[in-house]
Amino acid sequence: MRKYLGNKTAILLFILPALLLYTVVVFYPVVQVFYRSFFDWDGLSEASFIYFDNYIRLFHDHIFYTSLYNSAVFAVIIAIVQITIGTMLAFAVAEVAMRGRKFVRITVFIPVVLSITVVCQLWLAMYNGEYGLINKLFEMLGLHYRQDWLSNKNTAIFALAAVNAWQYMGYHFALLLAGVKSIPESYMEAARIDGASKMKAHLSITMPLLGETYKFCLILAFTGGLNAFANMYIMTSGGPGTTTYTLTYMMFRSAFRVGEFGYGSASAAFLVIECLVVTLIINKLIARDPIVY
Amino acid sequence: MKKWALALIAATMVMSLAACGSNNKDSSAANSGEKATEGTSDNGKGSSAEPVKLRIYAQYSDEDTKGPYDYAVAELKKEMPNVELDLDIQAQDDGQKLKTYAATGNLPDIFQVGLDLINTFKKSNNILQLDSYVEQLGFKDKVLPSAMNTLVTDDGHTYAFQYAGNEVAMLFYNKEIFEKNNVKVPTTYDEMMAAVKTFNANGITPMALFAKEKWPTVALFDMFASRSDAAGITKLDKGEAKASDPAFKQAAEEIVKLVKAGMLPKGATNLNYDQAAALFHEGKAAMFLNGQWEIAASTEALGEKLGFMYVPAPDAATYENAKLTFSGGGGPGGYAVNPSSKNVELAAKVAAFMAEKYAEFKFTQKGTPMVALKVDKPIINKFPPVMEQLAADIPSMKTTSFSWGLSNPKFKAAIEDASQSLMTGTYSADDFISDISSAIPSK
Repeated sequence: MRKYLGNKTAILLFILPALLLYTVVVFYPVVQVFYRSFFDWDGLSEASFIYFDNYIRLFHDHIFYTSLYNSAVFAVIIAIVQITIGTMLAFAVAEVAMRGRKFVRITVFIPVVLSITVVCQLWLAMYNGEYGLINKLFEMLGLHYRQDWLSNKNTAIFALAAVNAWQYMGYHFALLLAGVKSIPESYMEAARIDGASKMKAHLSITMPLLGETYKFCLILAFTGGLNAFANMYIMTSGGPGTTTYTLTYMMFRSAFRVGEFGYGSASAAFLVIECLVVTLIINKLIARDPIVY
Repeated sequence: MKKWALALIAATMVMSLAACGSNNKDSSAANSGEKATEGTSDNGKGSSAEPVKLRIYAQYSDEDTKGPYDYAVAELKKEMPNVELDLDIQAQDDGQKLKTYAATGNLPDIFQVGLDLINTFKKSNNILQLDSYVEQLGFKDKVLPSAMNTLVTDDGHTYAFQYAGNEVAMLFYNKEIFEKNNVKVPTTYDEMMAAVKTFNANGITPMALFAKEKWPTVALFDMFASRSDAAGITKLDKGEAKASDPAFKQAAEEIVKLVKAGMLPKGATNLNYDQAAALFHEGKAAMFLNGQWEIAASTEALGEKLGFMYVPAPDAATYENAKLTFSGGGGPGGYAVNPSSKNVELAAKVAAFMAEKYAEFKFTQKGTPMVALKVDKPIINKFPPVMEQLAADIPSMKTTSFSWGLSNPKFKAAIEDASQSLMTGTYSADDFISDISSAIPSK
């Protein structure tokens, strides 16, 4: 190993393709986004430098606040649902005594590999106000709780978050399950000898030891939620009106529907900073060294 | 274990390098293909007899768009056999693909545009001013007087050869449903409200609207607004009126009232065309809003039962005054030419020819009189009865400019969002006014 690490040329050679790709595909566009956010630019004509005007306009735009609120609601819902249910399922599936473990593991993971378009179409049919499954279920239960799930400005963003939470729950479940399985059995045995219940053992041993995994899951869920776009684009087109806009959708609207690339870049730049801050906060809150068993 | 991991990483790197390599090969092949095409164009320059290949960006996705294109190409083969068209199918993406082509200097020789793209491309010099060709080809003489507004933009120049005339949004209705339920075809807002209530009481959806697409919602608002102000939302688009002006405020208020009374089906803002049209075609909805191109499909589904109504107004007198004001119309648009094309002159000629043939096909074979150009060929497919009725109104028809003719993209996006919100019933007229006011240019 030392021989490999001592060879700087080999290291450079191995890193270079990935680094180049990352620079061209990620780093350069991000720098461009920040740079372009100071311009009045339609994507084609000559851009004119307008200092912070795009940002000033952004902070006075009501769509920006709707988008910010929706992104936050979306991120919080998917983070809570995916991680809570993911944890419960991971604990259950890790239990050797549980029957049908394989079945649960596969069924929970299936939505993750489905195309998001397919999932959205499926849920569109279920949410349909006239003949959708969800309203029919309420009807069967004798509840007069028929809703226009996606056309009601109060329920639309929650309905969209539920779809995303459902689809990617399996991903978090898989990560957490891998985490649970990597914890040596001896820890649990020791807890059992000391008389701890299953619940207590999970709360005091498994969960704290999963800190690193939780950190990763939280970052994924939050940044994924703040970046949400596909669900809105396919299911509601940001509607009704602007009620399901997120910052990404707002960027899309500004750049591609209105042709204001500078303004779109400003909202994208804000989104980059927002995701960075959230990641830093999560890192700070769950700061610990990786555990080596 | 670590050795294995290292070996695996190394293998992955080699694979990705190999992948990059093959990509490069692909792209260079693509480039050389492009070069070959350019080479052909070069050869064609200067001599009309030599074969010339022109790249054209046109709609070609369904029967409605494939028909006229194929017809025009077949006619072109007869007229200019040396010209070969290389079709690049237009994406339904708000002009993104075309803008990307423009940004990368890869614009096709001929492309279809609407007014918003004309305005964008004008600024960046990506669209040819066609005034001299309009003159040279006598194109102006071919344009119908009623469609003259589609030939020149606000700056007095022509940038595209238009073929579609002033297309209008219409309120269709099912005569049988109205008769069976003893409902009078509404002429005033009060009668409209009475109709909505009766239909709802009898379990019939009053109006099907595919409000997932935002333009039909703008059309409905424009219909109502144009009862009191014939220019409709065009005035807002140009900054010549305020959203709080009575015509617009009242239109928004009336729509909110009707939506609250149950005018639209549940989840209307999530209905696409197929779902909304099915409601109307299957006799489950009494009214349906769509452009005049709907006539063919609805006639096929409903036959004699299909009718169209003039838009209800605040009172009978206003109704009479405004009934021939249709929401819709058109703006400049059609086939435009790339100023950097290697065969500019030929491209302009072909663009004008294509526009002419499109109009011809629509008029003679698609049963639509709403074209921009005069057609002197006999009609092959007769107009359906509703179209005959509409055709009789065309000479005295006035049109607003409406969603597809709006020139200000910021206002267009804002009114589309706000009009769609109006269809939920939980959005007030004041919210509507405040949301679109910020997007109206100040004059």
